[in-house]
Amino acid sequence: MARIIGGIGTSHVPTIAMAFDKGKREDPDWKPLFQGYERVARWLEEKRPDVLFFCFNDHATSFFFDHYPTFALGVSDEYAIADEGLGPRRIPPLKGHAALSRHIARSLVDAEFDLSIFQDTPLDHGLHSPLTMMWPSQPEWPGRVVPLVVNVIQQPLPRPSRCFALGKALRKAIESYPEDLKVAMVGTGGLSHQMIGDRAGFNDERWDREFLELIDQDPERLARMSIEDFMRLGGNEGAEIIMWLIMRGALAPNARKIHQNYYLPMTTAMAVAVFE
Amino acid sequence: MSYVFDLERSAKGLRLNRFLHGLTKEEKRKLFLEKPEEAMKALNDEEKQMVRRLDWKAMQDYGASFFCLEKLARTKGVSNPEMVAAFRGETLEQFLKTRRIPGAR
Repeated sequence: MARIIGGIGTSHVPTIAMAFDKGKREDPDWKPLFQGYERVARWLEEKRPDVLFFCFNDHATSFFFDHYPTFALGVSDEYAIADEGLGPRRIPPLKGHAALSRHIARSLVDAEFDLSIFQDTPLDHGLHSPLTMMWPSQPEWPGRVVPLVVNVIQQPLPRPSRCFALGKALRKAIESYPEDLKVAMVGTGGLSHQMIGDRAGFNDERWDREFLELIDQDPERLARMSIEDFMRLGGNEGAEIIMWLIMRGALAPNARKIHQNYYLPMTTAMAVAVFE
Repeated sequence: MSYVFDLERSAKGLRLNRFLHGLTKEEKRKLFLEKPEEAMKALNDEEKQMVRRLDWKAMQDYGASFFCLEKLARTKGVSNPEMVAAFRGETLEQFLKTRRIPGAR
């Protein structure tokens, strides 16, 4: 049977990909970020998950507002790298796991999570800006991804409690897959930032650090909060950290945080954490 | 929370956002850079004027999604901190003074 070996929470800021692609590992402005991911990369190398299940959002790249899904699951064996205005990043296409995806789709719909399904769709930095910090893309990706796209950019957004419940349903879905697979959950986004409006440039490190404690110790409390709470505390765009709740909901209740890094250089607080 | 991209804004900004989103296609970027008026022909005059001036705040206020504006910014070589500075009514230099690591961009 498939089993969930742990989880990762990570920011997906596009400049993380920029810093990676431009080789900024030793640049003093970026070194604290790269160092924070070394432990994560080591954890993945040691645990060797077959699949990373990614909860992330598309940034009006492959999905547009003519038809914007709230939860959409990818069910392909391969995903191209999306062009976000600069041409696609020069990394190999992502390998998917169609059979596991299809099983998850059936299981979630059976559990009354009525998802949208997509295939043959390129994926944007929401997934692969953190991925290249954690997983080598050369000579080839060491495993496969299953992408779950969540609407966090056009209100109304799904409730935090719904995200947490979706995580729990995902645990049942994944652990009922008959093949022996090791799956690691990844929740992306945040931490505090606001890109728009009067509060553009807003951050709150105190709230970020509280969130990093609560997601470990008391995720139910986060799940009881409203989207408006998340927007007020972490900025409008910072509310996307509800996607960490999907990851956290899928982990064993006794899973604990074993690593954390926090770096706030510019407009978005960049965090990464590992749970097992 | 004065600004929220909700369904009202999304409806008002749909045509502009569709144009901006189109810049994820290389041929549309090329057309926009070489023949901007032809690339913008589906837009109304107010929208065209905002795009011509790269008036980030006006486009945001009108109903452009930040994530669609990013496509125009990438096409024109404008960074996110420059856009955020514009939303705040600051120059890039002023905005960077409020940041912890101004070089991390």
